[in-house]
Amino acid sequence: MAKDRKLRILVGSRKGTYIIEGDARRKQWKVGPVAHAGSEIYHVVADPRHPGDLYAAVNNTFWGPAIQRSRDWGKTWKEIATPLTPNAKARKAEVAAAVGSPPKWAINNLWHIEPGLPSESNTLYLGADPHLLFRTTDLGASWEPIESINNHPDKKNWSPGAGGACLHTILLDPRDARRLYVGLSAVGTFRSEDGGETWKPTNKGVEAPFLPNKFPETGQCVHDVAADTADPDTFYRQDHGGMYVSHDRMETWKRIGKPLGDDFGFTVASPPSSPGKAYFVRLGGMARTTDEGYFQVHEWNDKTRKWRKLVSPKAFLGHFGVHREGIATDSLDPPGIYVGTTTGQLFISPDAGKTWQLIPFDFPGIHSVSIANPMAK
Amino acid sequence: MPEVHLDSWLREFGPRGKEKVTADSVAHMIDELEARYPRLRFKIRDESGRLRQYVRVFVDGEDVSGTTGVATPLAGARSIDILHSIAGG
Repeated sequence: MAKDRKLRILVGSRKGTYIIEGDARRKQWKVGPVAHAGSEIYHVVADPRHPGDLYAAVNNTFWGPAIQRSRDWGKTWKEIATPLTPNAKARKAEVAAAVGSPPKWAINNLWHIEPGLPSESNTLYLGADPHLLFRTTDLGASWEPIESINNHPDKKNWSPGAGGACLHTILLDPRDARRLYVGLSAVGTFRSEDGGETWKPTNKGVEAPFLPNKFPETGQCVHDVAADTADPDTFYRQDHGGMYVSHDRMETWKRIGKPLGDDFGFTVASPPSSPGKAYFVRLGGMARTTDEGYFQVHEWNDKTRKWRKLVSPKAFLGHFGVHREGIATDSLDPPGIYVGTTTGQLFISPDAGKTWQLIPFDFPGIHSVSIANPMAK
Repeated sequence: MPEVHLDSWLREFGPRGKEKVTADSVAHMIDELEARYPRLRFKIRDESGRLRQYVRVFVDGEDVSGTTGVATPLAGARSIDILHSIAGG
């Protein structure tokens, strides 16, 4: 089979999924037809272990959530198994006992799909609302709830964020398939060292400005976390309470965002080809837009511990919002940076932030952006 | 035996025309449809068995979604319509 050298931008929007095709030059782009029209797509992701396989977290206002898979780079899609919650197994009895009693929880929305490591070629993880984590070892034919999180003894104290009780971040240690990290709103981050059997809260040093106790063990509203691919012990975190870095597998966090003033935001990415760099989109904490009046991406250099603005303030005027899955980087050198906004603009830099272009297509509000990288030569 | 009619969007997952059912309640009617058309599972009800927020079930023209819901008996019923409600933006 010939190697597919296309670079694809996968966009999940308020009204469907879009695949934008380009190549390693990152100059010309072609926006494909919408899929899942009318559904809210919280995440679309490529499975690099199986070229051509894409997964979409499809949330339909009327018919609820579903996982859809494409095996041809998004040309066609098919619904695959939806995970059963523990309650669903007892559903018939519940229904027979009939209604009148308040229903227990069900899945509200699907938030994030994370392909497993190359060594686990049929494993995927799924994060959902309300605070649910699932794993499949057969590429989504069936899903196993990870009860240690789903029925965590502390769960009664967990609150939703404004977007719901979402488990939105799933990170895997490339050196050890048993080490996992998750992020939940408004709960914080957890690490497992035993394949999801047990979990340890990892929020030390992260401020929760909206709670009486400013530094609790859990209760932080983590918005997004990115791993540094060159150093799997290092993580960059965008929290409700600011921007942070950890160099010790999330044991402790240091706030890095204070030089930016208001260091609120939702999203962060770290490019594989530029170790020690992380890209944040700073938003005003009240407006939750780029309240300075222009589109901007801030680069954190973890070696020099300095910030750098990547976009000229005159380039793109406006108050833009960016959601937690709204930024992505590709694997090329220099890295491409891709940012989708809640008002449907898709910004692209093919050269690590030196120059920027706007895809000439107005999308519905963008929830997520991810990249299917060109296959290696 | 009542006949069930799905709206055009739901027909993607279930019967395309009218479907006779033997069930004695709305809950069992949905069970029966889901057994015949597995892709309907979780589209009309969520995992807890509750009707989805924007689904409307009419029994002989009466909307039971916000009243007796899935517990509605079907004895003597002739028609059931399952529709999505007017919502969106």
